[in-house]
Amino acid sequence: MQDYLEFQVDKFIFKVLSDRLYSEEGLWVMLEGRHVRIGISDYLQQRSGDVAFAEIKPTGTDLAQGDELAVIETIKVNISLASPVAGKVMAINSVMESSPEVINQDPYGAGWMVLIEVPGGKDELKHLLDAQAYYSKIKLEAEQEVNK
Amino acid sequence: MTVNQKRKVVIVPCSGIGKTYGTVSREAAYNITEDLRPQETRLVALSKLVMGEEEARSAVEGNPAITIDGCKLACATKMVLESGGVIAKDYAVLDVYRRYKQFKPQGIAELNEGGEQLARALAAEIAQVVDELTAGKGGEENG
Repeated sequence: MQDYLEFQVDKFIFKVLSDRLYSEEGLWVMLEGRHVRIGISDYLQQRSGDVAFAEIKPTGTDLAQGDELAVIETIKVNISLASPVAGKVMAINSVMESSPEVINQDPYGAGWMVLIEVPGGKDELKHLLDAQAYYSKIKLEAEQEVNK
Repeated sequence: MTVNQKRKVVIVPCSGIGKTYGTVSREAAYNITEDLRPQETRLVALSKLVMGEEEARSAVEGNPAITIDGCKLACATKMVLESGGVIAKDYAVLDVYRRYKQFKPQGIAELNEGGEQLARALAAEIAQVVDELTAGKGGEENG
């Protein structure tokens, strides 16, 4: 069973898995050898709504940190997602084109988006938030929003 | 409902006010029941099913229903089932939009052109289903 942090705001329950890092924007990043697997956090997917389309940079694309990695269109918004790392796109989750709703159904598992090669390995991830820091950030954000 | 009344396909759209996809569902429902297949279909407001109105309940109990849901809560589908109806086909606007990416719906009280086109595309799909359901059953009576 996966270890996670969890909080509830109003009727919404948000989970933050402890085994990965997070960008401020809400992408999760999991180091796998010389690669990182990237997806959307539970908080970001719930805030954004049901995903209609996910357009991800194609395999072979070289990205600098902060370059646009993907555009997600949901029933509420269009979101441009910045790459949390520099590297080359090695693989895209093949279900993103046919069934992007998997992002909503299983954001930390089957809903992963992309695999990026990061030659620098762990050193490339120092700027990212650990699970506790991300949890604290979004909890504060959600509570402030609900108290507006 | 009288015994001699023709069998009609009941169309039940989402009642979500203030939501683009809910508006698309209703526009599609109006299109099918008022323009495309007025003789073969009947619009039933979801709110009437929620309130347990007898006429609305009778309509869904005695006829096949096509539901159009604006979100994954699928209220229209759930209420038809709870009202004793049989779902002939259920649509989710988001799934329909995925098939017509060029018709991006926006707006609430008034849909943009993309939303109107999406509603018309959905209504055209529903018309085909209605035709299949009513084929050879035009004179069939309830009861």
